[in-house]
Amino acid sequence: MFYTIIEQVVNGIVSGSVYAIVAVGMTMIFGVLRAINFAHGEYYMLGTFGAWFAIEYFDLPYPVAIVIGVVATAVIAVVVGNFVMQRIVGAPAEAGVLATLGVALILQNTVILVFGGSYKFFSGGYIEPVTLFGFTLAEQRILIIIVGLIVFVGLELMVTYSRMGKAMRAVSQNIECCAVVGIDVRHIALWTFILGAGLAALSGVLTAPVNVSVYGGMGELITFKTLPIIIMGGLGNVRGTFVAAMILGIAESLVATYVGLQFRDTVGFATLMLVLMWRPHGLFSAQARF
Amino acid sequence: MTIELSRRGFCIGTALIGLQTVSSSAFARSEDGTVKLGLVAPMSGPNARYGAFSLRGAQMAAKEINGAGGIGGRKINILAGDSQGTPVEGVSATRRLIDQDQVDFIIGDVSSSVTLAMQPVAEDAGVLLLNAASSNPKITYKAGVGGFKWTYRNYPTDENRALIVLQYAAEKKGFTKYAVLSVDSDYGRAAIEFTKKYLPRFKSQILTEDYYKEGEVDFRSVLSKIRDSGAQAIIMYGNADSTPIVGRQMMEVGIAGKIPLIGNAEFNTEKTIKAAPKALEGAIEAAAWLPAYESEKSKAFVDKFTAEYREAPNNHAYVHWETTHLLAKAIDQAQSIDREKVRAALSKIHYASAVGEVTFDDHNQARLPMILLEIENGKPAIKGAYSAEIDYPK
Repeated sequence: MFYTIIEQVVNGIVSGSVYAIVAVGMTMIFGVLRAINFAHGEYYMLGTFGAWFAIEYFDLPYPVAIVIGVVATAVIAVVVGNFVMQRIVGAPAEAGVLATLGVALILQNTVILVFGGSYKFFSGGYIEPVTLFGFTLAEQRILIIIVGLIVFVGLELMVTYSRMGKAMRAVSQNIECCAVVGIDVRHIALWTFILGAGLAALSGVLTAPVNVSVYGGMGELITFKTLPIIIMGGLGNVRGTFVAAMILGIAESLVATYVGLQFRDTVGFATLMLVLMWRPHGLFSAQARF
Repeated sequence: MTIELSRRGFCIGTALIGLQTVSSSAFARSEDGTVKLGLVAPMSGPNARYGAFSLRGAQMAAKEINGAGGIGGRKINILAGDSQGTPVEGVSATRRLIDQDQVDFIIGDVSSSVTLAMQPVAEDAGVLLLNAASSNPKITYKAGVGGFKWTYRNYPTDENRALIVLQYAAEKKGFTKYAVLSVDSDYGRAAIEFTKKYLPRFKSQILTEDYYKEGEVDFRSVLSKIRDSGAQAIIMYGNADSTPIVGRQMMEVGIAGKIPLIGNAEFNTEKTIKAAPKALEGAIEAAAWLPAYESEKSKAFVDKFTAEYREAPNNHAYVHWETTHLLAKAIDQAQSIDREKVRAALSKIHYASAVGEVTFDDHNQARLPMILLEIENGKPAIKGAYSAEIDYPK
């Protein structure tokens, strides 16, 4: 009994790590651009497709495929960032919603048009199970947890010490003041967006070996999993996002085991509603961004 | 007054024209000396692939029949109607085929929900609706002594499948304790509903019951619950795309090779087995037909279809090919294309299909064997064709 609970918590931490890497990008984009990126799951999908393409068509090893998936997504993010995202800085909220929804549809359908709508089989990665402290996990999942930790520590260091990180924090707090003191807000917005999209792609490439099936519409589910996390974590709050992602991952895992798998997807929004009743601004303050 | 009269005149005139159309159309039907066969299937939309296979299967059969001189001198003429996989479009396509094209018989649809919507339309028009690919048991619960006398089905039902899988698992494998992991849809839930109906017959029980949403990617929590539950097999009725994920995660939680998957979720495709060979080993599946099925007639069909269309046939191509031949035999035995006579001939038919003899029960449901296969050494091994008599609700 106790063993099972611990095992489910470990499972939850693995799922939480995936959610965290995707959600942190989305929350940073919100912090700087003040727009919820409804196309965020599509960058997760693009990263996975990039890696799948590299393995399937060029027979490249998985580590190289990771780099290709992330770089390809970053290149697309540069284009989308220049044409769409930069223009919604300071625009009304609905402009951001519509623009990102539009981008989501275009990206999704372009991939379906180019690669077809059927499910693809992702053959790379490290899927052999290993036993650690009596728990069995695929090597890939251990990789996910390690990368998740590296990403968060790296982001923490970046926003605290680097010039770009400090600028991101500044823009997320007050766009007008930043503009007045000479910070190039559009430039910061673009880079934040590219970083966020790249992280989503990284998460996609890392989970592809354990999720096996790759298809054009796979990003939608991720976007809707990520939404309650970033709201719960306090929109724009990086540390809050990490904690919220872990809470959701573990809660989903326990619900799937003790209530039923069919209720798993309801956990996110149910938890969100409970949290919002108690703390309308989310678990963590939106003021303490980054 | 004059207006009154002309209105009345207009009404009478219209009625007369209508009457003439009706009476002439009764003769128009198949007066060109062909058998007009309507085929309703999803020709466009997300399930268009199934429709294309269905049409090709039926067209190949028509070509064969026509090549051999037709039925009593009449050639089969197939008229396709597009259901787009939706009940609304399926009903309009059926109406068009009946009212405008004046078809003699209809085959359709692939999707159960479309077939269910087509049934009353065919019944009102008194047109024989022969279904070749829908598996929902309700279709024949409602047919024959259940109500609709014009609906027939030449395809095994989900109930058949559930019973056959359970019977094989209990009798050949000795399983009595099961875990359920099926897709959360009418298909997945109905299959389990029927499985439960037959559990007492095999002194078996379900220990855990979970349904996954389409697109679900994390099954580990449920699989570890299943591992600890003491289940001997996992009953899975689901989608082809989820099976490899489940297989891989079975390896992770350490139940691959210990607790097999049984049911129907494309366990036998090469890609799925390749994704998780250890987990798929011992998987048991019941299918209406498989290209690999060892029978002379089946093999000849696969070869001919592949040569004709330069791609291997799937289940839908086969069932529509076989059903067109079945209907042709009924027409031949009736010695007429009179719907009532053909219907009577169909009820009494003994037709030698590629998987075994087809006869119809009092619910107009074909008594059909299903092909049972088990994955052995990474390859599907066909264990034979199994039949089961349906226990209709009273």
